[in-house]
Amino acid sequence: MVRIENVALHFDDGKTTALNGISATVEEGEFVAIVGPSGCGKSSLLNVIGTLERPTTGEVYFRCQPYSNIADASLFRRQHFGFIFQSFHLIPTLSALDNVVVATIGCPGPAREHTQRARQLLAQLGLRDRIDHFPRTMSGGERQRVAIARALINNPDLILADEPTGSLDSVSTEQVLGVISEIRQQRGISIVVVTHDPEVSGRADRVVSMRDGKIEPGKEYRQ
Amino acid sequence: MNLFGFALGNLYRRPARSSLTIAAISLGVASIVALTSIAWGFEASWQRANDARGTDLIVTRLASENAMPSPFLADKLQATLKGYPHVQEVVGLLSEMLSVGDNAPPVFVFGWEYRSYLWQHLRLIDGHLPANDTDADIVLGSLAAELLHKKVGDSVEIEGRQFLIRGIFDSPAVVENGAVVMTLTLAQQITDKPGKVNILNIKLDDHASDSVIDDFKTRVRETLPGYLAITSGELVRKNAVVRISKAMSNATTLIASLVGALVVFNTMLMSINERTREIGLLLALGWQRQTIVKLIVSESVVLSLAGGLAGILIGIAIAGGLEHVELMRGKIEAVFSMPFLIAILGLSVVLGVAGGLYPALKAARMLPSQALRQE
Ligand SMILES: Nc1ncnc2c1ncn2[C@@H]1O[C@H](COP(=O)(O)OP(=O)(O)OP(=O)(O)O)[C@@H](O)[C@H]1O
Ligand SMILES: [Mg+2]
Repeated sequence: MVRIENVALHFDDGKTTALNGISATVEEGEFVAIVGPSGCGKSSLLNVIGTLERPTTGEVYFRCQPYSNIADASLFRRQHFGFIFQSFHLIPTLSALDNVVVATIGCPGPAREHTQRARQLLAQLGLRDRIDHFPRTMSGGERQRVAIARALINNPDLILADEPTGSLDSVSTEQVLGVISEIRQQRGISIVVVTHDPEVSGRADRVVSMRDGKIEPGKEYRQ
Repeated sequence: MNLFGFALGNLYRRPARSSLTIAAISLGVASIVALTSIAWGFEASWQRANDARGTDLIVTRLASENAMPSPFLADKLQATLKGYPHVQEVVGLLSEMLSVGDNAPPVFVFGWEYRSYLWQHLRLIDGHLPANDTDADIVLGSLAAELLHKKVGDSVEIEGRQFLIRGIFDSPAVVENGAVVMTLTLAQQITDKPGKVNILNIKLDDHASDSVIDDFKTRVRETLPGYLAITSGELVRKNAVVRISKAMSNATTLIASLVGALVVFNTMLMSINERTREIGLLLALGWQRQTIVKLIVSESVVLSLAGGLAGILIGIAIAGGLEHVELMRGKIEAVFSMPFLIAILGLSVVLGVAGGLYPALKAARMLPSQALRQE
């Protein structure tokens, strides 16, 4: 599904190297966990896959389409990717429902249908009676489930999650992981997750270790 | 929730800042509305006075650009003009701003040739017109009567001379309503300008076409050096007061618009800077850059349009207030037309777009990954 070829990513005119010649693949429907020490380039890799960051050199392909040929990265992201972040990134002034609906603004189709779909998703994720609540009145687990609904609203092919349980206690982590497994079973969506949490990487099909902007050879393992 | 609902919510999120911005814009728009309506009112009012009088052409000194053209000796010129084709009447008019009574603000005093057509358009509410050319009798416009607290039969002192108020009239033009009218002879006596007039009013007969008016103008230009024949509309537009007030309203419009756009600019720039992470998120969610631009510009246009609407109301109130200030009463008249108010709303939209565009483009150009990293 995703093929990464020799990708390097430099910042500050080459003074900082975030990715240092990475090659990797993600198969259709696969759940891949990326682990590694802080600063090794995990988020950078996720951003490159999600078109949030353009690689300095190298190429990434999504279903054989090279990223350098994408005319409209925003549209591409909306069609194929859903993002989940450690700090949820919910908009504090919007209700749970609107935080999901906001991802559909500018999409074709009637707003009423988008709203309807957002309600269904929130209900599926166990937030039926939280729909009109604002982020500040929700627990961390609830907030992250709202963010998951937002990531799913445009029917992505690939979920890119950057430490999704990093701000959650063990109970909420369990809830969120349950939700993620359920989605995989129902929709067959691929997932790439960056995590420090063995609970999370333990559920992945494959775990990839990174160090200093590279994948550590021989430390990749399948479960 | 759609884009517009989201934009409104974003403004509502900072109620104090949004209200202050709206207040600043509304003050700017109010000053534009008040000054412009008064400047136009000046022109409209003088134009209406001339139209109501039935004057077709006005002959003045060439160089005159004062509020009232400078006085000149009329006798010989008047006789010459009477000989022109289609001319029915040539009537002298002298006008001056004078103090009437002790503590009252100055008013316009018009001297009109006795028994001329100028008197005919006045609608008497009370009393009579002056009975002859030389008795010290005057008539008052209804506003002037109110301002001076006078009624028919009272007397007033103008330039050291006692006058009896013979009648009170209503005129379609506010400048006449706020004025004192006497015979030309009396006006020449009290202003010490015997035989002089500011302008000669020409009334043509009913058969006079536009070409007669053009011929008249040409003939004056070619045979009467130093004099100028113009229509009342042209005189009004040449009028220095009209021109100055229009220039002031234009300058105000320019400055207030610039300030308004800057206020919107500043507000929106602050707003996008503190929402950097949120904009990064929207971009990550797949918002098109143009959707971000639409969002920010919608927010700035809502601010400026709200300011514009409030400003129109405040401006109308200010103009109404100025009309009732003693010193201005009967001399100014604000004119509000629908096209003018629509133009003001249009201007507000332009301010919003102008002030919001750069912040919007700046927001749309953000790199999502950088914006999301921002603390
Ligand atoms: N926008 C940027 N500008 C400059 N340097 C950056 C930028 N993004 C990342 N870096 C640098 O690139 C390197 C890799 O960063 P990255 O965020 O990918 O690490 P990470 O593995 O996700 O770390 P963590 O576990 O702490 O989140 C770090 O040295 C970081 O400082
Ligand atoms: Mg990271």
